[in-house]
Amino acid sequence: MRIFHNTSFNFIRHRKIAYGLSIVILLSGLVSLAFRGLNYGIDFRGGSEVVIRFDKNVEVGSVRAALKEAGVSGTLKQYGIDRSFLLSTVFSGQTNELKSLVSNAFNARFPQNRHEIVRIDSVGPSIASDLKWSALKALIGALVAILLYVGIRFEIKFAAAGVVAIFHDVLTVLGLFSILGGLFAFMPLEMDQSIIAAFLTVAGYSITDTVVVYDRIRERIRGKKPSEYEAIFNESMNQTLNRTIITSGTTLITVLILFIFAGPAIRGFAFAVFTGILIGTYSSIFVAAPIVYDWLKATKSAVRLRGGTAA
Amino acid sequence: MKNKPFNLFLIVLVTVVSLWSLWPTWRDYSLSKQLDSFASGEDSLKFSLSHRDELENARKKSLKLGLDLKGGMHLVMEVDQVDLFEQKAWNKDARFHAIMGRVRQKAATSDAGVIDLIAAEFRKENIRLSRYFYDIRNTDGEITGKLQKESEDALARAREIIRNRIDQYGVAEPVITTQGTRRIIIELAGISDENRVRNLLKGTAKLEFKLLREPEVLLRVLDKLNTTLASRSATSSPAVAPDTTGKAVPAAGSLLPPVKSATTTRPLYDVLTILQNGNVYVSEESRDFVSRLFQRGDIQALIPQDSELLLAAKPDQLQDGRNYYPVFLVRKTAELTGGVITEAKASFSAEGAQPEVLMEMNSEGTAKWARITGANIGKRVAIVLDGAVYSAPVVQSKIPNGNSVINGIESVEEAKDLEIVLKAGALPAPVRIMEERTVGPSLGADYIRAGMISLMWGFLAVSVFMLLYYRTAGVAADAALVLNILVVLSVLAGFNASLSLPGIAGIVLTMGMAVDANVLIYERIREELGEGKSIVSAVTAGYDKAFSSILDSHVTTLASAYLLYTFGIGPIQGFAVTLMIGTAASLFTAIVVTKEIFNFMLSKNMLSEKSFG
Repeated sequence: MRIFHNTSFNFIRHRKIAYGLSIVILLSGLVSLAFRGLNYGIDFRGGSEVVIRFDKNVEVGSVRAALKEAGVSGTLKQYGIDRSFLLSTVFSGQTNELKSLVSNAFNARFPQNRHEIVRIDSVGPSIASDLKWSALKALIGALVAILLYVGIRFEIKFAAAGVVAIFHDVLTVLGLFSILGGLFAFMPLEMDQSIIAAFLTVAGYSITDTVVVYDRIRERIRGKKPSEYEAIFNESMNQTLNRTIITSGTTLITVLILFIFAGPAIRGFAFAVFTGILIGTYSSIFVAAPIVYDWLKATKSAVRLRGGTAA
Repeated sequence: MKNKPFNLFLIVLVTVVSLWSLWPTWRDYSLSKQLDSFASGEDSLKFSLSHRDELENARKKSLKLGLDLKGGMHLVMEVDQVDLFEQKAWNKDARFHAIMGRVRQKAATSDAGVIDLIAAEFRKENIRLSRYFYDIRNTDGEITGKLQKESEDALARAREIIRNRIDQYGVAEPVITTQGTRRIIIELAGISDENRVRNLLKGTAKLEFKLLREPEVLLRVLDKLNTTLASRSATSSPAVAPDTTGKAVPAAGSLLPPVKSATTTRPLYDVLTILQNGNVYVSEESRDFVSRLFQRGDIQALIPQDSELLLAAKPDQLQDGRNYYPVFLVRKTAELTGGVITEAKASFSAEGAQPEVLMEMNSEGTAKWARITGANIGKRVAIVLDGAVYSAPVVQSKIPNGNSVINGIESVEEAKDLEIVLKAGALPAPVRIMEERTVGPSLGADYIRAGMISLMWGFLAVSVFMLLYYRTAGVAADAALVLNILVVLSVLAGFNASLSLPGIAGIVLTMGMAVDANVLIYERIREELGEGKSIVSAVTAGYDKAFSSILDSHVTTLASAYLLYTFGIGPIQGFAVTLMIGTAASLFTAIVVTKEIFNFMLSKNMLSEKSFG
């Protein structure tokens, strides 16, 4: 079976359209980030989350009313598993008191419908600020590490364009989280630690497709004149198009399965990785390689590449 | 085809080691299943007795499930360093308390070190640290160094004490580690009573024996407080709980002051009940208000030197059938502290089913206790634990043998927990729960099911796709994928790491990424074949030329997973670990294993151009 075989798309000529599209998407994400901001989860905001599961179906309104009567502040939402609700409230460090308050309220209001507190997550403000810093450090560390590695393996222009592509991918997903945050009941798209894990996965994986394209360009560009670069870039991208799509495809399948089957705790993560890989595949063809091309054209000198086993 | 014997040997070795390392997991699973299948308890008991060693061995070496899958608690506790340093200071005055108050506020929201915050506040106030800490001749630098050492010691001690408490309580395989300068991370699996664990961990367990002041002094102090509060109530009226006095008339006597008059002039007496025998009580509803009141700096200033007002830990039921907490005025300086306790034992009191805790003291404590009791016959001694009075018995006679008892305990569990914390010793400073992640066993079972379904579907989808797309070569890729999953699981089992839901997600994701290497190689082979090369040279060229991009992509994925592992915590680390193992393993499985399969097939003439789809 073959999907994209012997294609000859002229990626380089239409690169400006892709640049424009990317800039529009990035800008709308950034505007949303500036005005709507992000929906922070308790990892970064601090607070407590309690997941309560009932034995029988119950209206969200009456659960809310029962909590209000008991004097529990916070918001209550449906949770992604059956007959379950998620209560978000402030961090107090007194989990026992919170638990008994909630339990007493429900026992009094729903004596026939037993409930169970199945999960408690509680994060204090000092921990939340620590987690935020760690996340930032990990992200910056990953970008620097990738820049260094690709810089050593290829050339600084390639490396920088690859990192630009990663920024493009992560910022686009971040923008999507801002735009879509809180819109869907089944995935609140809150920024928490798992989303940082998703960003790092996307950053590490985004370069995979890029490297495949780079590798082919490196293989073919040796000893060629700058005037031949456009053809070489286009051919390289077309030759690798099939594998770029298949490699992303297999990974996308598994992420989609996680999104569907792995439950609400993994859903936000799966969404972030899915969109990230999708955008990463796009950016390796339409962002990374075209930037290298433009850069090479601007400097007007033949490229000297390191590494690679192919001659 | 060089190195062929070596590669083959390596593949066999990896497979055997993986299977060997996963064998106990399989045994554990099948034995447990057999155990569940018995109809009668007798049969299963007999089976577990006869297979005891085998069962235990298998369980010990089998793949562990993470806290989220089997249910458990992940706690991050923080040593209250502000409190610790306050204890270390001397000459404490209002200015010092004001500074420490500001430090406490800042420490709650920033992650700067408490010592740095203290030093900064002192600089701002332009006073030297030596005014309150250690020796007057010490420089600020020396003092911060000493405080640093102090906090490290406190953290290490706190960890030991918490470990003791948990060991005494009895939790299988607790994991207790420290993080940074003030945090302790505790992981507990399979907890049946979380509330009890939280209480057990939280309390400082600071036990003190304090002499009670004369009842008249208490009444005088309360009078003074009441007058002061009344004079201020024009500006700030206290949030007083409903008036509950007037009806409580126990056998001991009638109400001393008629407390049903104008509320504004009696802000304190409205919430207090005073009996004729001089005992003072506060109603259950007003307890929080009163205890906050007693801790206020301006109120403490009105109390005589070396005295403090304390509330009882447990309420008494008075004649109106409602609960009241006794109020005590005690000497602030403890006569004796919990450090002298060598043994504690939960028990029942002689006259009834009332739980109590019996304590024994070391020789120094015994001598002191004998002196204290001998000198104070007829007076009352309060037994105070973490600032709450458990009991205040009248000293009947000199106690020469170092025995003492805590009563006023509600339940047997509480008595047992007290025994545990008293034996483990007092924490150097209060320790608070700053982060908690608790998953109940039922949700854990849901997670396991969700994880298994995702694994199964992930594997099916990827392997079927590879078969459809690459035909014969897909079989080799699928075989490599199976080995890859085996290696991930066996490494987890072998290194005693546990599998969590994010870890399973990592494996599912790894499956999608692991075949990427095969895709790159196969596409290259197709290309070489398209150029008219023979199958043998196409395969060789495919592996050679695809290697550099495979290596690059794997290294970047490994690097980001490693960073995630370093900066992430608990659940996220599980994901990072499986992703790292899986990616590293796929370098071996997807390249070496498939190549050996092709080499074998080539040698048997089983591989043709059509084999790559």
